[in-house]
Amino acid sequence: MRAPVGRGTISAMVARRPVRMAPVAAFVAGAAGQLAYSFAGPGDPIALTAVVLGVLAVPVVLGALLGARTPHNPVGPALSWVGAAPAVVFAVENWGARPGSGPLGVVAPGVWVWNLAGFVALCLVFPDGLLPGARWRRAAWLTGAAGVVVNAAGAVAVDTAPAPVLAGAAALAFGTCLAALGTAVAALVRRYRRGGEVTRQQLRWLVLGAGTVPVLLAAGWVAQSFGASPAVAYTGFLLAMLLAVPAAVIVAVLWYDLFDVDRLLGESLSWLATTVLSAAVFAGVVAVGGALGADSRLGVTGAAFVTALALQPLHRRLSELVGRLVDRDRYVRLARLRAFVRAVRDGEAAPERTETVLRTVLDDPGLRLLLRAPGADHVERSGRPPEHTIPLRSGDADVGVLALGTVSARRLRRAREAAVEARLPIEVARLQLQLRDALREVSASRLRLLEATAAERRKLERDLHDGAQQRIVAVGMRLRSLQRTVAPAASRELDVAVESLEATIAELRRLAQGIRPSLLDDGLPVALRALVADSPIPVELAVADVPASDAVATSVYYLVAEAFANALKHAGAGRVRIAVSGDPDRLRVEVADDGVGGATADLPSVRDRIAAVGGTLEVHSPPGDGTTVIVEIARARTGR
Amino acid sequence: MRVLVADDSVLFREGLVRLLGEGGHEVVAQLGDADALLDGVEELRPDLAVIDVRMPPTMTDDGARAAGRLRERHPHLPMMLLSQHVETRHSVALVAGGGFGYLLKDRVLRVDDFLEAVRRVGAGGSALDPDVVGALLARPALSVLTGRENEVLALVAEGHSNASVAGRLHLAERTVESHMRSIFGKLGIADTGEHHRRVLAVLAFLGNRRVT
Repeated sequence: MRAPVGRGTISAMVARRPVRMAPVAAFVAGAAGQLAYSFAGPGDPIALTAVVLGVLAVPVVLGALLGARTPHNPVGPALSWVGAAPAVVFAVENWGARPGSGPLGVVAPGVWVWNLAGFVALCLVFPDGLLPGARWRRAAWLTGAAGVVVNAAGAVAVDTAPAPVLAGAAALAFGTCLAALGTAVAALVRRYRRGGEVTRQQLRWLVLGAGTVPVLLAAGWVAQSFGASPAVAYTGFLLAMLLAVPAAVIVAVLWYDLFDVDRLLGESLSWLATTVLSAAVFAGVVAVGGALGADSRLGVTGAAFVTALALQPLHRRLSELVGRLVDRDRYVRLARLRAFVRAVRDGEAAPERTETVLRTVLDDPGLRLLLRAPGADHVERSGRPPEHTIPLRSGDADVGVLALGTVSARRLRRAREAAVEARLPIEVARLQLQLRDALREVSASRLRLLEATAAERRKLERDLHDGAQQRIVAVGMRLRSLQRTVAPAASRELDVAVESLEATIAELRRLAQGIRPSLLDDGLPVALRALVADSPIPVELAVADVPASDAVATSVYYLVAEAFANALKHAGAGRVRIAVSGDPDRLRVEVADDGVGGATADLPSVRDRIAAVGGTLEVHSPPGDGTTVIVEIARARTGR
Repeated sequence: MRVLVADDSVLFREGLVRLLGEGGHEVVAQLGDADALLDGVEELRPDLAVIDVRMPPTMTDDGARAAGRLRERHPHLPMMLLSQHVETRHSVALVAGGGFGYLLKDRVLRVDDFLEAVRRVGAGGSALDPDVVGALLARPALSVLTGRENEVLALVAEGHSNASVAGRLHLAERTVESHMRSIFGKLGIADTGEHHRRVLAVLAFLGNRRVT
């Protein structure tokens, strides 16, 4: 059974085809017309016609290929028209020149203007379609209309027409023709000025190819006015328009930036200069040798020797000089990179700035320096396609990739060069990344340990309260019940037993409190207030209810307990001030006494605890001037 | 009194029920979690609810939170909270309405004191554990009250009458009364009936301590 074919698919397919196939069809028709004319006898010999058609076929075929490769881009059809339009024009001119050719004879005199149609269209749509906006759509229609006007003027300006009509028609034709060409040029200029770097490079190629066209056309006019035959006068123009322009377009669209003109130019120049200078050195040595009366063979050998010695350094210097002149960007780029590398080596610049520096130097804000994360077995390219990236290696190890925001052959080459130049800061940045990661992991694991311990302590505390303590109370209650039924002597015994149970419970409660101060559940202020409740000396307590994680609150509690105990035990303090303040981003604890000072104790038991929750601990204890312990913890709410 | 007991520890609950029974109270229900407690109060309308602070479902402070909700629905229901250790978070808010007690669980072993506290709370008075009061009334260096006034207020906060305070501190009752007047004055509490003033004094003091 045949699968039904959707009507919509077919119509969509054929809808774009005519635009792409029209120039091909026109070329075939024009070629057929010319060949028929040649066969009929009056025109050029068949071989010449075939050569002309072969040349015209080049842009037609290239345009068709381009159209097939980028079907939505009108540059393909426009390029095809560059060859197809002259094919039709020549046929019309051939047949229209014959007497009695009817409408063709009327059209033929002015039809030459359509030779430029493909070229103008190309200028208007290159490299990515007509410029946006109604103004440019109108401009495109106007250039078409200009063709019609020039063609009509040609039809009027036949030899038999009166002189004023001839002059008017000529002026009209040239004016309109200039207007159309001006529009095309304006489109190119506008694009060049508004476009990004890629667009500019693509346009540069077209300008290179197309720039020859008007020059050669003018040269053709001059040659013709000096009596050269049209066939000879316009050969250069036609070849430029039909071969150079299509080649430039193809290169620009598909492989723009491939041949990297700057470098080719720079290298050619420096070798040329080296050669010239070497020859001069050679000649100079020979001449000096001859003047000194040396044997000519000796002179030549000496000259060769001196030249060979001079060649290498000479070329290096010249390359540099030419590079500075021709590819100044590169020279400046490398100089800036080297300055940065030097600054990193001297410790004046942070290697983390490498990415920023590369962005500036390579003029690519989208550039990313993606370093391989420590422990990762591949480099995270953050979604960049491999052809946009340059692998960075150190020895056998993958260091990372340089991912470009904008890609072209030239940019890739420059970035590669920069990556080699910036090897040192890149490597340092990677090592720092590794170190930072390792440190982060260490402090994270320390916090995890602290949190695990806190959870363990909390569980232990609950088990004590809800298990052992509860059972003892229950036993006590049974004893109390029993007490009602026994003799007074036994009852007194039971009193003693229950009191002992109460003491055990109090002991258990103290034990649990030591494991984890349960009042921390009520917040740091309550817990700290209870901590100093039995203080023999006055305590000034100013504790704000700062949101803090369990780990942070517990750590602060133990810190205050330790500092407070020291103030009582060692400092002989008369009063103590405890202050907790801050916000969710930063918690500050201060425990100050007015004791003897000179404390050597570094609070080692709590220092690690404070460090584990990301805090810092300072002890100020000048002899005779009290002791102040200050702790600051960032992000106390989460403790991370 | 018709007493409702909510505690998830069966061992403790049975001991408590026996103890209350021997004290002449009728235990109308024994419940094991906070939700059952809320339903039980709606259904049985007891004279007093004895509530364990730490109960299912989360085993943190479900009992205390249930007590807070009961206070909203039944402002006059006397409640006695029991806990294995000192927690102060909920007591300040609840002590305001009177008919509220908060004791550590092992206080039940002092049977007579406990039954007295139960009776006091059932009658609309209050009973706070000395340890809880201690945690709330941590000695402030810059307190407006003298040490003696602090001691008096701590006992008042536990729910003691002036006579009882006088007995415990070996003072004359008139001296205690004068201390109380001084406390009311220092805390700026207007004369609005003796019981109300006492609760306000305790509250003002507890609230004050919470902030500093």
